Amino acid sequence: METISRISSMLETARELTLEAAQSAAINRTSGTDYSSRTYSPAHIKKLLDSRHEREVLDGMRRVISLMYRSEPSLTFFSAVVKNVASANLEVKKLVYIYLVHHAEAEPDLALLSINAIQKSLTDSSPQVRTMALRTMSGIRVPVISQIVSLAIKRGCGDMSPHVRKAAALAIPKCYRLDPNTLPQLMGYLETLLGDSQYFVVGPAVAALLDLCPDEIGLVHKNYRSLVKKLVDMDEWGQLATLRLLTFYARKCFPQRTQKVKRAAPEAFYDDEKQQQEAQDDAEEYEVPVMDPDIELLLRACKVLLQSRNSAVIVSVVRCFLYLAPSEYIASAVGPLVALLRTPQDMQLIALYNIVAVALRVPKPFAKYTAHFLVHANDPPHIWRLKLEVLTILFPHCGKHWKGVIISELEHFSKGTDPELVRESVRAIGRCAQGDTSTAGMCLRILLGQISSPDGNLVSESLTVIRHLIQQDPSSHKQTVLQLVKHLGSTTHPDARATIIWLVGEFAGIDPENNIAPDVLRILIKGFADEMEIVKQQIVLLGAKVYLHHLYRITLLWRYILLLARYDTSYDLRDRARLYKSLLETPSSTQLANLLLLAPKPVPHAPSPSETRKDLLIGSATLVVGSDAGYHGLRGYTNLPDWVELGQEPDPSLRTEDVKPDTSSNTTSMTAGDRLDKALREHKTTSISSRGRNGPAMPLDPAGKKTLDQWLEEEEEETETESETDSEEEETDSEEESSSEEEDDESEEETDSETEAVHKEAQQLLG
Amino acid sequence: MSGEIDAVYVYDEQNAPLIEHVYRSRPPSASAILPLYLAHAEPRPSLLYIPSASPPVTVFSTVESNLLFLAISEVDTEPLLALEFLHRVIDVLEDFVGAPLLSTKVQANYNVVAQLLNEMCDGGTVCNTEPNALQEVVEVPGWMGKLLGGIGVPGTSTPALGSTNPLKQSLAAASVSQGPAIPWRRPGVRHTSNELYVDIIESLSVTMAPSGRLLSALVSGTIAFTAKISGVPDLLLSLSAPGGQHVLGRKIELPVFHPCVRLARWKERPGELSFIPPDGRFILAGYEVDLLPIDPDLDEPPSHMEKLFLPAIVDIRKSLGPSGSDFEVRLTLNTNFPGQSSSSRPGATRSGSGASTPSFLGGGGSGSSGPALEEVVVSVPISKSVRHITDMQASRGDAQFLPATGLLEWRIPTGKDAGTLTGTATLRCSVSGYPSADDDLEDSTPTPPPQSQSQYNAHLPAFFAPSSTSRPTRRTKAQVNASLMPNSASVSFSVRGWLPSGIKVDSLNIDQRRSRGLGESVKPYKGVKYLCVSNRGVERRC
Repeated sequence: METISRISSMLETARELTLEAAQSAAINRTSGTDYSSRTYSPAHIKKLLDSRHEREVLDGMRRVISLMYRSEPSLTFFSAVVKNVASANLEVKKLVYIYLVHHAEAEPDLALLSINAIQKSLTDSSPQVRTMALRTMSGIRVPVISQIVSLAIKRGCGDMSPHVRKAAALAIPKCYRLDPNTLPQLMGYLETLLGDSQYFVVGPAVAALLDLCPDEIGLVHKNYRSLVKKLVDMDEWGQLATLRLLTFYARKCFPQRTQKVKRAAPEAFYDDEKQQQEAQDDAEEYEVPVMDPDIELLLRACKVLLQSRNSAVIVSVVRCFLYLAPSEYIASAVGPLVALLRTPQDMQLIALYNIVAVALRVPKPFAKYTAHFLVHANDPPHIWRLKLEVLTILFPHCGKHWKGVIISELEHFSKGTDPELVRESVRAIGRCAQGDTSTAGMCLRILLGQISSPDGNLVSESLTVIRHLIQQDPSSHKQTVLQLVKHLGSTTHPDARATIIWLVGEFAGIDPENNIAPDVLRILIKGFADEMEIVKQQIVLLGAKVYLHHLYRITLLWRYILLLARYDTSYDLRDRARLYKSLLETPSSTQLANLLLLAPKPVPHAPSPSETRKDLLIGSATLVVGSDAGYHGLRGYTNLPDWVELGQEPDPSLRTEDVKPDTSSNTTSMTAGDRLDKALREHKTTSISSRGRNGPAMPLDPAGKKTLDQWLEEEEEETETESETDSEEEETDSEEESSSEEEDDESEEETDSETEAVHKEAQQLLG
Repeated sequence: MSGEIDAVYVYDEQNAPLIEHVYRSRPPSASAILPLYLAHAEPRPSLLYIPSASPPVTVFSTVESNLLFLAISEVDTEPLLALEFLHRVIDVLEDFVGAPLLSTKVQANYNVVAQLLNEMCDGGTVCNTEPNALQEVVEVPGWMGKLLGGIGVPGTSTPALGSTNPLKQSLAAASVSQGPAIPWRRPGVRHTSNELYVDIIESLSVTMAPSGRLLSALVSGTIAFTAKISGVPDLLLSLSAPGGQHVLGRKIELPVFHPCVRLARWKERPGELSFIPPDGRFILAGYEVDLLPIDPDLDEPPSHMEKLFLPAIVDIRKSLGPSGSDFEVRLTLNTNFPGQSSSSRPGATRSGSGASTPSFLGGGGSGSSGPALEEVVVSVPISKSVRHITDMQASRGDAQFLPATGLLEWRIPTGKDAGTLTGTATLRCSVSGYPSADDDLEDSTPTPPPQSQSQYNAHLPAFFAPSSTSRPTRRTKAQVNASLMPNSASVSFSVRGWLPSGIKVDSLNIDQRRSRGLGESVKPYKGVKYLCVSNRGVERRC
């Protein structure tokens, strides 16, 4: 999907944009001075920070943060900033926290001063403040506090607000990096959080699990089904982590089972046929894979995600289908994968790498989208290279019409001016011919047509590909060689000439009575002195081969060649000539010469350039980097484990969820009225009970426990009794407002006195 | 493989570090990574592995309005995750700081940027990228708030400078404690004027064979939506296409949706988007349309091609003139858009209910005057071996050759004074290449190799190459010029008020029963804009 910024820029014409840019620059020049801190001395900023007026402190903090981002020295303000950590003002607090996390490592002792105040904020009435405090505390990179952080996470896990629980989940990996010894405690917290009813808590929890202990599948069993169920409602980043986890999990826990099934044989028409069939019955029994219902649950949940706006989610689903599911699933994911070509160019490139890797395994479903892979004039090299590769992979699976289009496209690009593109498209033609032998003739004709081109690069590349094609099927290409020889007269490119001469030599033994090789040799010898060295070498080699084939009938010519080579300037050529000479001198060594010169050559095979990446994991960075990443891939790269063997898998009963009196899970069968009553009852009880718990009296909305879809569904059904609920809501709202207002006032006073205490403390320390 | 991002770096137009935000561990600093990144030759791929950095890192990059955005990771991170994140960062920054993103704007708002980056990713795990949710937690200074007021940031999240209203804070806190009912929509949205805008942008990409036959014609469409509406509205957007609803389902291929769209509804009735929008501007859906569906298994070329209307077609004839050094580009413009008869205004379809009479904006403010073809530019890639192009004669507009980019650009004026656009325009140029060794040797004595070849050519037996005796061994002037000829041309343009797929907004309704917090009497202003863009999208091979 396009991004909003790109669409906006399309909607506004370029002129409008530049105008706006100029205007804003002008605004910045006038009003920007007000905000740049250059006009303010550090002393002034310090004074602002020490001010008793919140407004001035906030101003000071903004300046400090700007300094920090401008990479100007801002560490000098540390003590002045830390004093404000207990500020009642949320904005000031936020900025102080950002500063703290950034600089704590440099000033660990001073940073510790702030811990006390942050800890107090952990029990603040506002969940936003609690979230920020937990987040900041875990972000301070001072290893001494790891136990405090761990305790804070523990507290956060039991918090009523899902936002705080989310922050707790996000804090787990940070705490682990602070002190790996906290792992056992952290895993305990993870277990709680993975079972959380809120989908946006579970996502970060899964990410934390992957970070800490990706192999600890024991934590997943119990939550497997709830994770799959929540997958659709999670945010994109949670979906990505969950898909990553469950793909690995599935390989470790669901063995590949097969079941013997008898093919439903068509009713036999004739009696004797029937008998035959009975005889074959045993053979017709074949095995079909049986899917575990749990894995099917996952795959079906994934299908909905194929319409996600996030390209990474789509590639993750493709990965899931490719490695876990039967082929009909991956076929359904191919379209959305190809649709990623609509994304901006930077993502297009990554999408193409994944498309190539999938197409190498299952090319057929991609044939429908061949038109998407046509190369455009404004594609950069790394894009067209992959597009050409996809085209050649799809080539054997297209109908004749598209085959024709692909070939003519490749022919078009082979006549271009970019030498790289020319080379790649000629190679692509070769791969097309190799992939589909029925079109080899057509490809060869095109390549032969290009030999007479004035572009030497094209000619030599074409000839290499032609040579490969001929070698793959030498028996039917006698005429082709003859045609090539005709080009010897016109081609000046040394590589091309050498290739042709080599081919003549390879065919010298066929049909000895009517062979052109001796004649070609005779003519070539005349211009021997003017040839390039690489051509000379091939001429000498051709001579040796012909001499051997025709059993010394061209002795005079052979001696002449040797004489020419003997006085050549190149020592390499002289050496070669000497070798052939002594090899062919005595009839007794003919056997050896045969072995050396006329050995059958291995058939060359040009694989798709990405063939080496085929086994790398879809969606990983290693897939894109390829062999440069080293043998084991980039750090942190692991390939999927093999399917667990039958009998080795964990007991499926582990995945049955604990039966909880979960009210929200089976409400679908209730009528709207029942549900409303129930919700109201729940509402009251929770709001009463919650007063006793974590400080603030926050009535727990029943909606908070439900998944998004349930919420929306419920809303639809609610309409009948809307007036009723509305009034109810209003009542609770006003209650809530007044109560929390009071609370807030109190806490403000508290924090005020706190601030002063910290101020004093800090001053004493600095004093 | 993981999903962790270690740092985000942004560089300004002069490649000076602008933002440096480290999320976890100790990646190489912004100034250390830049030269290693720039060491890779242009064009740089979006993922680069830099083993020479310490520690070795992968760098994900994208460029937006001349700012370079890098995401750094020390471990194998899903590349698309990192790039999606970067794009979200760009979108969110534009939303908060203002588009287009300029380094001066970013510098003036470092405190906002710091809060945003801090919220979007926590300890390397991407966690909160919804603009609405970010508006809840990121404080914007007063004057910025006023600026943002235009795009719908309410008073609740932008308290005046330094003022802390306990009531307001507790209200916000209450919503935070329950967890958002709708994660993408801010609670308590209030607007004085309620407005809804739908923008459908289709980008056209057509490939034509040298014969003029169409090889492919693809359209990728995006529906952008702007919702400035109070409360929690439940909207229903119906699309239509010529041929009726059932055609639409087949026409719109591979759609992707914003998470707010109810997928079940779309599956049941393709073309109907039912959703509760986020506040502000967002991308509602993306889709594509194949204007030239060809069965992949087809053996014969499709005999009855669907008649395809294109506002601009380009053709090229090359190797003209006495020495074959000229070429001619012929541009055919056609503004007789199909389905736009003079009586009907573009997209003037009305839905049944009186409450939803969309007031459609015509093409680019020109009211009822039908679609407007604009910004027509023909680009011809020129070979690197061309030294310069002379005698550029354009029958309309002016042409310019930029050797740096290797592009010949020909702009055709489309303004009011340009008169009628329909018709053909031609541009004739002649190229000259660099003097090669061949040219120098033209008059001097022939070099040995060709001589020897011609010598033995004379002695060739009949089966060798009968024609090669007459074939000149050196490249003639015509051949040299032929290699300088361009081999493709493409045309860019934009059309306001017309979509190649023919898709239209049929109606946009507010479901009053399901919406909340929006008064009965409120009739939001509705606007629809259609735009077709071709960014060098119509390409002709030759």
